[in-house]
Amino acid sequence: MAGIKLSAVKKIYPGAAEPAVKGVDLDIQDGEFVVLVGPSGCGKSTLLRMIAGLETVSDGEIAIGDKVVNQMEPAERDIAMVFQNYALYPHMSVRQNMSYGLKNRKMPKAEIARRIDEAAAVLEITPYLDRKPRALSGGQRQRVAMGRAIVRDPAAFLFDEPLSNLDAKLRLHMRGEIKQLHQRLKTTSVYVTHDQLEAMTLADRLVVLNHGRIEQVGRPLDLYRRPASTFVAGFLGAPAMNLIEAEVSGGALMLAGTALARGLQAEAGRVTAGIRPEALRLRPAPGGNFRLDYVEELGGSRIVHGHIGAQRIIAQTDLAQELSAEMHAELPLEELHLFHATEGHRLSMGVSQPAAADPQLVGA
Amino acid sequence: MVENRPFLTFLAHAVLILGVAFVALPVWIAFVASTHDQSTFLSGSMPMWPGDNIWETYGTILGTGAPVPGAPPLTLMLKNSLVMALIITVGKIAISILSAFAIVYFRFPGRVLIFCLIFVTLMLPVEVRIMPTFKVVADLGMLNSYAGLSIPLIASATATFLFRQFFLTIPEELVEAARIDGAGPMKFFRDMVLPLSQTNIAALFVILFIYGWNQYLWPMLITTDEKFYTVVMGIKRMSDVADSDPQWNFVMGSAMLAMLPPVLVVIFMQRLFVKGLVEQEK
Amino acid sequence: MQTKRTTFRSWWLPYLLVAPQLAITLVFFIWPAGQAVYQSFLREDPFGLSTTWVGLRNYIRLFDSAEYLASFETTVIFTVCTATLSMGLSLLLAVAVDRMIRTASVYTTLVVWPYAVAPAIAGILWWFMFNPSFGILTYVLEMVGYDWNHRLNGEDAMTLVVLASAWKQISYNFLFFVAGLQSIPMSLREAAAIDGAGPVKRFFTVVFPLLSPTTFFLLVVNINYTMFDTFSTIDASTAGGPGQATTILVYKVYEDGVKGLNLGSSAAQSVILMSIVIALTFIQFRFIERRVQY
Ligand SMILES: Nc1ncnc2c1ncn2[C@@H]1O[C@H](COP(=O)(O)OP(=O)(O)O)[C@@H](O)[C@H]1O
Ligand SMILES: [Mg+2]
Repeated sequence: MAGIKLSAVKKIYPGAAEPAVKGVDLDIQDGEFVVLVGPSGCGKSTLLRMIAGLETVSDGEIAIGDKVVNQMEPAERDIAMVFQNYALYPHMSVRQNMSYGLKNRKMPKAEIARRIDEAAAVLEITPYLDRKPRALSGGQRQRVAMGRAIVRDPAAFLFDEPLSNLDAKLRLHMRGEIKQLHQRLKTTSVYVTHDQLEAMTLADRLVVLNHGRIEQVGRPLDLYRRPASTFVAGFLGAPAMNLIEAEVSGGALMLAGTALARGLQAEAGRVTAGIRPEALRLRPAPGGNFRLDYVEELGGSRIVHGHIGAQRIIAQTDLAQELSAEMHAELPLEELHLFHATEGHRLSMGVSQPAAADPQLVGA
Repeated sequence: MVENRPFLTFLAHAVLILGVAFVALPVWIAFVASTHDQSTFLSGSMPMWPGDNIWETYGTILGTGAPVPGAPPLTLMLKNSLVMALIITVGKIAISILSAFAIVYFRFPGRVLIFCLIFVTLMLPVEVRIMPTFKVVADLGMLNSYAGLSIPLIASATATFLFRQFFLTIPEELVEAARIDGAGPMKFFRDMVLPLSQTNIAALFVILFIYGWNQYLWPMLITTDEKFYTVVMGIKRMSDVADSDPQWNFVMGSAMLAMLPPVLVVIFMQRLFVKGLVEQEK
Repeated sequence: MQTKRTTFRSWWLPYLLVAPQLAITLVFFIWPAGQAVYQSFLREDPFGLSTTWVGLRNYIRLFDSAEYLASFETTVIFTVCTATLSMGLSLLLAVAVDRMIRTASVYTTLVVWPYAVAPAIAGILWWFMFNPSFGILTYVLEMVGYDWNHRLNGEDAMTLVVLASAWKQISYNFLFFVAGLQSIPMSLREAAAIDGAGPVKRFFTVVFPLLSPTTFFLLVVNINYTMFDTFSTIDASTAGGPGQATTILVYKVYEDGVKGLNLGSSAAQSVILMSIVIALTFIQFRFIERRVQY
């Protein structure tokens, strides 16, 4: 096992107008589960594939453990990778698929058999060991792909959207299994996904990428609570954070002539205000600032669509919440996020934000 | 079928039966001719049904050899054809799959130029460059040899294209997974590319075997020694002589035997044959 | 040109892998073709003792020669007749097989096997059936009052090589037509049937137009086939005769070069043929590219 260190890593594809990865620094600790998340095309796979050795590094340095691996073949880097389409060898049985990498490393037969049996038992694929991949379901193939990585007992696992080809229910299930597997094996893992929920739930540490740059790094809840930019704010959480153009004047957040929050110590001027849908407090009030448009029932809660002035706003409420066509909307100051109106970065408000207890530290 | 029209179905059967008869007629006549003896033809009429000379004709051809001047025993020619066809087939497949592998799985200077050079061979059939090619083979001392019969025909643009096309359909991640699993290029070729290409190789084998077996102009040009005659060109030599002194039963018997191997290949490997032909698109 | 996104790294291995193919291509294809072009500008005396540079004179002489122009005409007639006959018969058979459900594969097998017959043997078989003294077809023709003799009558000889060449090519065309017919969605024919089109009308208004990519592809392939591959069929039956009646361009290259040892002229003819093949290949690939975009 080993940590992974990226220093100013760049990737320029030949003939591309813009670098796909524009200088990434990242220090991944031994045993850590790091998730790279971001919209499609932001460079997640490119970064992962450079760590794997499947793409050359245009500039910068990648080290696994204490070895710089820039010039090493993928096989020499002591990593294992799980692909979105699994990349199982179609003409080989499950057992042969899992043993191929070990045989190439001249591992003794008995040791190979032991590792395969062990991994197969963990992944519950023992009954299928002699089948060809084409005779397996999507979920089973996914497990075999994981098994092929596990038997290698590598310094690091690399995952490139491993769950994207599964249906929603199976995806949820496998997500839990990957988490458990990591808790058991404690192997350094780098996991790429575009699904923010998957990212939030799996990551020890989350890396949000945007246009080939790191937008923010941190523990999932920290990122959720203190997004560093409108990009991160809008990307994490569902339904997404309301990002509305507003104005700070006289210590109040003004929107369409009404004060949404008071007592801010921020510079007066135009800002982008970030409001989590679940943070908005609503109460029925004739002539209130919030006009209700329609409601979506989620069962355990409901999503209320409406607008304040010309701005569309989404609120998430519990079922006890009374609704009416006109309501008054208000926001506790500590739930408000302010961002620079044009640059998008986070503005400090001079209000101390109480750091919430970290459930991961408590739980672990 | 869109709707049921008994008359059209009947008509279709009639067309097909006539078509099958037209296709079979020349071979049937050849077979019938091989079962009669010499005197039948001298009498100036050609029977429609087999005679009783069949064992004698084929026994002679395959045993002591037909007493036809101008050609060596048929068994020798069949053997030469087989050797030539197999060298051509295996050679074409081998060099095509290797060059397609290089072109798809490597990036190297001159790659496009080499691909174009291979492509150009499509436009240069033997028939249009007979004399200079003959001279090259003669200068290399390859006349009257198996090497001369086969090697100049071994370059193949179509087989290279077919393999290239197939390799491009193999998922990218497969080579990546294999590299992470520690496979170098030749190991990947042996463990992944070859087994995955099995069907394509078999289909090409059928097409190329027929191509090799049926060569005519090339063996005629470069063999003057009867020891290296192939059966397709040999029959022509036999029938040339037969023109003045007809031994039709032996000529047609030999033609039947010359057709047999490739026809059997087509009939028994029809699925592979159709796949090879249609995917090769020429 | 496309490669895999991850490629292997080696500066020598790819060259080693293409070396055999490249060597054979250069030695037996490119070099001889270059020689043919070079020789087409030379004239060699009959004893091969001296050669002189004659520029384009070999070409000019060719296009002044009635014999060569006649060979051009023969080639066109031969190509048109063979391609039309073979493609027409194949299409008819393919349409008939397309109606069959259970018997289709049996009929297919029975129609495709001549693909395996060597063109030279096809020539010999038809030549035998038309043998002037005892050929079965000669006999039939005699009964209807036609006196067949391909050794003396040029038109008879042409008919003979057209039949032999078309016969040999039926199986190939048939397979492609069947594949083409199968790729036409049944729903289109059903829609036409619902619109009240009978089987014949449906064929000409729906099926045949949709088959045109296949037809065009086969046309190019058949032209290629009749111009070059039929060399063996002709050599094994009429040997270009009687006179020059069945001497197509390819056959003339062979006669003037191998038999007549007129190297300059033969080389010039080769170069002309090469340009024809290049044009055909170009058309074929343009067309295949277009078809890929569909
Ligand atoms: N092989 C390649 N050649 C050129 N450009 C590429 C290649 N692979 C990816 N790109 C480009 O690099 C950018 C990042 O791609 P990728 O890392 O695959 O994004 P992600 O995995 O985040 O969706 C995209 O703009 C993509 O078009
Ligand atoms: Mg990706």
